[in-house]
Amino acid sequence: MNGVRIEGVKKAYGAVNVIHGVSIDIEDGEFVTLVGPSGCGKSTLLRMIAGLETISDGTINIAGRVVNDVPPKDRDIAMVFQNYALYPHMTVAENMGFSLKLQKTDKAKIKSAVDGAAEILDLTKLLDRYPKQLSGGQRQRVAMGRAIVRDPEVFLFDEPLSNLDAKLRVQMRSEIKGLHQRLKTTTVYVTHDQIEAMTMADKIVVMRDGKVEQVGKPLDLYDRPANLFVAGFIGSPSMNFIPAEWTNGKVVTQGGIELPSASSAGGAIGNRKIVYGIRPEHMTIAASGIPATVSIVEPTGAETVLLLKVGETSVTAVVKDRTTAKPGDRIFLQFQPGAEHMFDAAGGARLS
Amino acid sequence: MATSKLAAAARRNEFIANTIVVVLAIITLLPFLWFVVMSFKPADDIFAGIDGFFFKPTLENYTSLWSDRFASSMMNSFITSSVSTILALLIGTPGAYALSRATMKQERTMSLLILASRMAPPVAFAIPYFLVYRYMGLLDTRLGLIIVYLTFNLALVVWLMRNFFDGTPRALEEAAWIDGASLWKTFMVIVLPMSGPALVTTAILCFLYSWNDFFFALTLTRNNAMTAPVEVVNFMNYEGWEWGKIAAGGTLIMVPVLAFSLLMRKYLVAGMTAGAVKG
Repeated sequence: MNGVRIEGVKKAYGAVNVIHGVSIDIEDGEFVTLVGPSGCGKSTLLRMIAGLETISDGTINIAGRVVNDVPPKDRDIAMVFQNYALYPHMTVAENMGFSLKLQKTDKAKIKSAVDGAAEILDLTKLLDRYPKQLSGGQRQRVAMGRAIVRDPEVFLFDEPLSNLDAKLRVQMRSEIKGLHQRLKTTTVYVTHDQIEAMTMADKIVVMRDGKVEQVGKPLDLYDRPANLFVAGFIGSPSMNFIPAEWTNGKVVTQGGIELPSASSAGGAIGNRKIVYGIRPEHMTIAASGIPATVSIVEPTGAETVLLLKVGETSVTAVVKDRTTAKPGDRIFLQFQPGAEHMFDAAGGARLS
Repeated sequence: MATSKLAAAARRNEFIANTIVVVLAIITLLPFLWFVVMSFKPADDIFAGIDGFFFKPTLENYTSLWSDRFASSMMNSFITSSVSTILALLIGTPGAYALSRATMKQERTMSLLILASRMAPPVAFAIPYFLVYRYMGLLDTRLGLIIVYLTFNLALVVWLMRNFFDGTPRALEEAAWIDGASLWKTFMVIVLPMSGPALVTTAILCFLYSWNDFFFALTLTRNNAMTAPVEVVNFMNYEGWEWGKIAAGGTLIMVPVLAFSLLMRKYLVAGMTAGAVKG
């Protein structure tokens, strides 16, 4: 099998375990993002794939070969670092051709490989410049060029866009995705930004505290988050969580408001305390329904973000229509049928 | 106008600050200037008081130096200083890099121990060196001096370069490993080229330390390997103190010190790593 297979991988620094047995299958040509809050171990895992960190337990397999004891240079990978890590004393062309030069490739071949990558990334005019003469976006491109030139088995990206400003980030996001569609090289991409993960990935791995919370396609994670953590992490603004009780097929909040539940799981859930989840974009303002009080109105032009109180719980609603609602107004909300998520209040696991 | 008042105040403050700097500079440099002027005076005018204020400059003090052993002592100074500096850099820089990147538990203690050898008073080392050198036949040899200077310069190199390496981004080295470079290759091709300014600064400090050394040269040499600072002192002999020669010799010894200090000023302005990581 090509691609990357991670099996039961653990990482410990002395007595401190930072990764607790992670297993992920990455298919050949797949774009996988590792996403999670800072400190969740995603960067450590990437560095273990790169060979920059040792593996305490388990195996990492790249293109059908266990690489646990293979040094980084022999793993046939290329990595793009968060701070670009361009060699300051080399020109753009030298930076990009460095790996080939180390392989003792002849000069004509290096030049054609560098020129080819430069063309893809629109760097042709900058080949003779030094890193300090480039803007952030250009440096980012050079770092990617250095990876492309190698034509590796796997691309590794370690939060490559986090040093760029918002506009450039969106642009580079599309460029990286376009690049992957063109080159079809297996890619592992680490980010803390769930939007980056959602927009770019074929498959998302959500991590927390050194464990995998859920693996799946972006929309599967959005539609059927496996637990409260994933539900809250994927999607922006975050999913609303309303503490409630499930009694004989009815969901009632602590304040006595009944919430709609078209859930097919029905009786299988059993009577218990639950957390009722509903995404902000699955709510609409209506003439009747769940009563709510408006706290804050945030128009963004395309849509309006409403911060509301349903009973004692704060919820966020995103509505497409322009609204005349003002803070203090009493309104009614309708939830899109079937869009609700039920989680066990005790463990946070998905119920429906 | 308020602005012109402010500007006038700023000018006045600047004037006061500049005056203080100039006065301090004159106080500091006066003995040095007096020394240099003395080196160009004919022997009779040196202690002529006010009458000696106006004199016909002469190079006789300098020319008489070359007929003396002074030339060979300058050569000794130059060779011992350069060789010990080069060796210290060759041995110390990879050592400093290893210490900087090591993950040993006692690595900080080791660095401190290395520096401690630099802090001990020279006299604590002079007698043991003297005894060992006498036994090994290294007294009054350039090699003997080089070894002494090397031990001290090595500590300086390890300490300064280690701090420099600690401050350089590791991502560059990691990128090089992934690009296919070995540890040694990474050091040679990525780390060293970025260390240029730090290496030059360290080299100059090492050279000046050896060049300015008086104590070890005095205790460990007699004739053959005697360095310039000791030779100058020999101009104070029982036949009389040859002030002209002392001044000329001292001035010559100061030339490389001055030259290197000016050079160092340029190199102390770091900036080589600008653009390497997010800027």
